[in-house]
Amino acid sequence: MFYLSMFFQYLSQYLKTRLQYRADVFVEFLSDLLSQAINLVFILVVFGHTDLLNGWNRDEIIFIYGFFLVPFAVFSAFFNIWDFNERYIVKGELDRILTRPIHSLFQIILERLELESLLGAITGLAVMFYAGSRLGIRIDWYDPILFIIFVIGGALVYGGVFIMLACISFWADARTSLMPMMYNISNYGRYPVNIYNKLIRFVLTWILPFAFVGVYPAAFFLDKEDWYWYSFLTPFIGVLFFILSIWLWNQGVKKYRGAGN
Amino acid sequence: MENVIEVKKLRKEFKAYSSRAGLKGAFRDLFTRNYKIVPAVNDINITVKKGEMVGYIGENGAGKSTTIKMLTGILTPTSGEIIVNGMNPHKEREKFVQTIGVVFGQRSQLWWDIAVQESFRLLKKVYKVSDEDYEQHMQHVIRTLDIEPLLDKPVRKLSLGQRMRCELAAALIHNPPLLFLDEPTIGLDVLVKLKIREFLKEINEKYNTTILLTTHDLSDIEALCERVVMLDEGKVIYDGALRELKEKWGDQKELHFQFLKKVNIKTVQNVTSGLPVEWEVDEKDQTFIAILEDRDELISQVIAKVVAAFKIKDVKINETSTEEIIRKIYEKGAVEVG
Repeated sequence: MFYLSMFFQYLSQYLKTRLQYRADVFVEFLSDLLSQAINLVFILVVFGHTDLLNGWNRDEIIFIYGFFLVPFAVFSAFFNIWDFNERYIVKGELDRILTRPIHSLFQIILERLELESLLGAITGLAVMFYAGSRLGIRIDWYDPILFIIFVIGGALVYGGVFIMLACISFWADARTSLMPMMYNISNYGRYPVNIYNKLIRFVLTWILPFAFVGVYPAAFFLDKEDWYWYSFLTPFIGVLFFILSIWLWNQGVKKYRGAGN
Repeated sequence: MENVIEVKKLRKEFKAYSSRAGLKGAFRDLFTRNYKIVPAVNDINITVKKGEMVGYIGENGAGKSTTIKMLTGILTPTSGEIIVNGMNPHKEREKFVQTIGVVFGQRSQLWWDIAVQESFRLLKKVYKVSDEDYEQHMQHVIRTLDIEPLLDKPVRKLSLGQRMRCELAAALIHNPPLLFLDEPTIGLDVLVKLKIREFLKEINEKYNTTILLTTHDLSDIEALCERVVMLDEGKVIYDGALRELKEKWGDQKELHFQFLKKVNIKTVQNVTSGLPVEWEVDEKDQTFIAILEDRDELISQVIAKVVAAFKIKDVKINETSTEEIIRKIYEKGAVEVG
């Protein structure tokens, strides 16, 4: 309960801060929309030539891409921890976090909220409706509920993996960040995993389970029955990876060395 | 009286990596890195009673900040026992930090972009302070620190002195019984320093707040602390009353002479030969300094002899300053605590 009320406290603070910079919000909004539109054009061009890709047609691939955008938007809004190493470890901001009576990871998530990113979800939904209508997908009453569950699961997968990567900073005192590389790998989850070889597919399913952010849950809505098992695994993998990441975080905080003055 | 801080054989080690020279060395570093284990804090014992104001001093890198960070639960000790406010700071961190206030002079606790009062409001929620307690306590704090006019300004627009006063107020929102201040007066002007000192004295009297303070500015300690703990290379080298330290080490006086004509140090030494005096010369402004025991008779003897022999431009009698005492102690190493 306390954590929920803290969430709203930070949220209102965040909104106040954002509204102070009106021009900024507007420009950011525009640039976000623009980059989403470019993404969309890109995917239409790339998949315009291929009608079939290992049993997936063009609209299905676009649908998966659209689905992927939704959990990714949720992830970007809440787990804005790309610069964790720089900001909190090297600069020592974690000192301040650790002197407050709230779980350290939760505080960082609250401080780094970036709700503008949720805009990406709108693009995602638009893409899904576009592809979905061309495919003639019916929406059943349970679809929205499952959709929300899968989106949360996918966002948790993403969040979990990125928190674990951020935890590396607790042990290694390297200043370089693995994040850019991870960003590239995470993009593989946007495309049907069976177009890759077995090894990559295994990695994307069980080790860096980005496939659970895009293909697997989306397959459910595309009525790919042989993938259902994976689809329903999404929330469990999400929760599992997230819990693991919190455990790792708690271990890491004990190893925190602090920054010199 | 109960102990607020109890620390036994506290130790914190860091691995210090050293890189090898040259390109070949850099390649070898990729696989095996050389490191030394350096104890930043080396088996120290400290007890602090409720209501005490303790000054924690030492040179840069002596281990002050590391100790404070262990006491506040930020760092995990390598070994040793540590009990603060009846809790183990690192193990019960979230419950523990509710009972302490922390100010790091070089780091802001407030949110950069939002107005000071918004920061306060958020912290009030974080520490679960009730409206009545907040009103009653913070009204007073805000008035004493004179930050009323700053409340609606964002932190990034405040000057350092204004910000520090707000930081101090922020650390006291939950009225903690124990306050850690790490270099709270660094870079501040005299007026702000005085205000902060007065304020600290006041809350110490009013709420019996225990205060542990690190600083490079010894006048802070002289103004506030009865007791000092001195640290060197991770070890406690003195723990006791500031007064005792002064009595024991400050038993000397300095006589500063400036002469009208150029004088050789040898001739000056000859004049006072037979008396227990040491001479030093400050080449820059041609000041001759006689260091001698603090005995009235001896002092007047020396002055009489020097005045008789040379034409004098200026004479000063100085007591050894705390800074000098500290410097002497560091030069000598440890102090027998007594």
